[in-house]
Amino acid sequence: MADLFAVWIAVFFTLAIYTFLYKENPWFRVAESIYLGTAVGYGVAFDLKYLRDQWTGVWSSTGLMMTAFAFAILVGLLWYFRFSKKYFYLYRWPLAIIVGTGIGTSMRTIIFAQFLSQIKGQATLPLFVAGDPMTSFNNILIAVMVPCVLLYFWFTGGSRELGAMKVIDKIARYTMMAGFGSAFGYTVLTRYSLFIGRSQFLLGIPPNPPEAKMAFVTIAAILLLTLFGWDIYKRQTPEIPT
Amino acid sequence: MSVLEKLQTIDRRYIYLLGWIFVLVPLLHPLGLPVSIGKYSTAYYNYLDNVPDGSVIMVTFDYGVSAMPELYPLTIATFHQLWNRDFKVVIVASWNQGPLVMDIVLKELKPAETYGKVYGEDWIELGWVPQGEIGMAALGKDIWSTKPADYIEGKPTSSYPIMQNIKTAEDIDLIVSFETGTPGLPEWVRQWNTPYGTPMIMGCIGVMVPEVAPYLQTGQLGALIPGLTASAEYEQILKHPGLATAGVDAISMSHLLVIILVIVGNAAYFMSKGRGGS
Amino acid sequence: MSETLRRIEIPIIITIVCTLLQVVPYFVNVPPIEAASDTFRSWMVLVATCSTLIGAITLTMGHSKTIQRQGKGWYFSVLTIVFMLVMILTGLPIPEVGLGEKNLVYDFCFKNILTPLGATMYSIIAFFLTAAAYRSFRARSLEATIVLIAGCLMICYNAPLMTVAWPGFTPIGDWIFSVPNMATMRAVIIGSALGAIALAVRALLGMERGYLRGGGEE
Repeated sequence: MADLFAVWIAVFFTLAIYTFLYKENPWFRVAESIYLGTAVGYGVAFDLKYLRDQWTGVWSSTGLMMTAFAFAILVGLLWYFRFSKKYFYLYRWPLAIIVGTGIGTSMRTIIFAQFLSQIKGQATLPLFVAGDPMTSFNNILIAVMVPCVLLYFWFTGGSRELGAMKVIDKIARYTMMAGFGSAFGYTVLTRYSLFIGRSQFLLGIPPNPPEAKMAFVTIAAILLLTLFGWDIYKRQTPEIPT
Repeated sequence: MSVLEKLQTIDRRYIYLLGWIFVLVPLLHPLGLPVSIGKYSTAYYNYLDNVPDGSVIMVTFDYGVSAMPELYPLTIATFHQLWNRDFKVVIVASWNQGPLVMDIVLKELKPAETYGKVYGEDWIELGWVPQGEIGMAALGKDIWSTKPADYIEGKPTSSYPIMQNIKTAEDIDLIVSFETGTPGLPEWVRQWNTPYGTPMIMGCIGVMVPEVAPYLQTGQLGALIPGLTASAEYEQILKHPGLATAGVDAISMSHLLVIILVIVGNAAYFMSKGRGGS
Repeated sequence: MSETLRRIEIPIIITIVCTLLQVVPYFVNVPPIEAASDTFRSWMVLVATCSTLIGAITLTMGHSKTIQRQGKGWYFSVLTIVFMLVMILTGLPIPEVGLGEKNLVYDFCFKNILTPLGATMYSIIAFFLTAAAYRSFRARSLEATIVLIAGCLMICYNAPLMTVAWPGFTPIGDWIFSVPNMATMRAVIIGSALGAIALAVRALLGMERGYLRGGGEE
């Protein structure tokens, strides 16, 4: 019984969101409001669990670690001075710790991981592959396209008016347009995949619970009736002039 | 208003209705269309197949419930391949909903009954690693102190037999990642692949696929499953059909709908332009 | 004293020290500094996690105002706050009193409210994408035509029906993915890496102050 109730609730919330496709309506607003509250609450609960796990794990092992943990909590409390006009400056201190550590952690490897490795990958592309003209052609194209796209975003110096830059800009634009087209194609795949997944749930396709199908038909009928009914009522009821 | 102009300004709710029809009908009445196996799904399968028995594989859940429809089928298929082999599997998540997705995977796959895998000896789940890239860096340096307790039983990580020789990134032989955004591939490449040389393969949502192409070309990413269609192909290779295979007809029909609408829209536009319309 | 503490140089110095604490041990092999850096990183994660209530407090403040004023849709704000409090209270990590992730209410809300809502919110974009493709995706110029053709070819590449009907879509899709798309993204990655390095250098020199803006004005 409890499982059946759970399935009906899940189907209701799924369809309530989809009612937005008809138009903005109270069912959608209910689902949206509940989603917002639940998502924020879930995040808080998970973070608090992490803090507890850390305390029972490593940070309660010695007196020094316990002191460090307590100090971390005290510094962490400085975040909440964000809401104070007078002591707002204290909020910047934990923020500076996070920003500094984040920049340091990513910067130390970004040079190798994203800069040098990509340049090396580009530079080691063989422009001529024996017996494989298509790969040779592709590598030549890549060898031309990448610098063109990089130079498209180069604004230092007065070189943009040169004739060669106009050719480079054209190649770069066409390359990027093809890339954006590819991105669009994959975006269609993702969005429809997500919708197909929800549809499989609504239709009770295994391993989704089969009870969802009946719930889908019933709740969809109720929601559509209320939406259309409200529209018809509003059209038939004349507006009282003020 | 001419037919062409009406076609271009049709109420978008009719288009939404077409979307529903083109997805629901093939799900209710599968067309049984064949699925051709592509090179990316083959490469992913072969990559895992070539990993020697006894290797330590870290599976990372870099997605939450919002991406489950696209990544869950791949997750199930990958665990099916992993648990059919003699690997040591360590599961972490860099998204906080990852462990809850793993709960659903466990309910479906039942590793002890189905594959004879013992928790704590053959596999372990360490849970969420917070703070994205910084957490990944901390995990790579010292897994035991970053995740002092496991997620399922809450016991000390160091007490499990599987973890006795797994303390840092250097003890991990391969990362298998399921991704939907940030933190994700670039962060793993920066914090694990570059400093420790840990190889990596991944499955991701379609939206992410274009941006991982350079990593695939340089070899920083060993193999890729790009979206739900490739997941269906992977299921076919494994002979373990699941939700991806069940949804493949709907993918085909929905994509056909988009193509038809784009063609009709452009045809109406050019024809009305040719007639001197707006 | 208060004036000294307000100085902007304090968070700038903190940023520089924290950045150096992560960068230096990576390149200079001095075990004590490396150990300090690792411990600090784990400690810093605790500090960052403590900010968890900021979102909840901001949400509560905004919606409370709506409820107080009985503004339009104030009852929806009540729902938001109620469900947020339910999740926080039932999810508190005190399993000794039955709270936490094994709590029935928390588990129910996650599995049957948050999961379907989260998945559905992103899936609805499929419809908007389709409508936008129909109404706005026009071959008005050469560049737009390239986007249109590349997009349609990738859509065909991703649809098994199309690749079975004409196998030529597969090599074309592979080519678009691994040549122009790869070239574009490689340039973007190199460019963003350069930007990140520039940002890091600015942070180390104390010139990057964007994250320090704001004065607590409500």
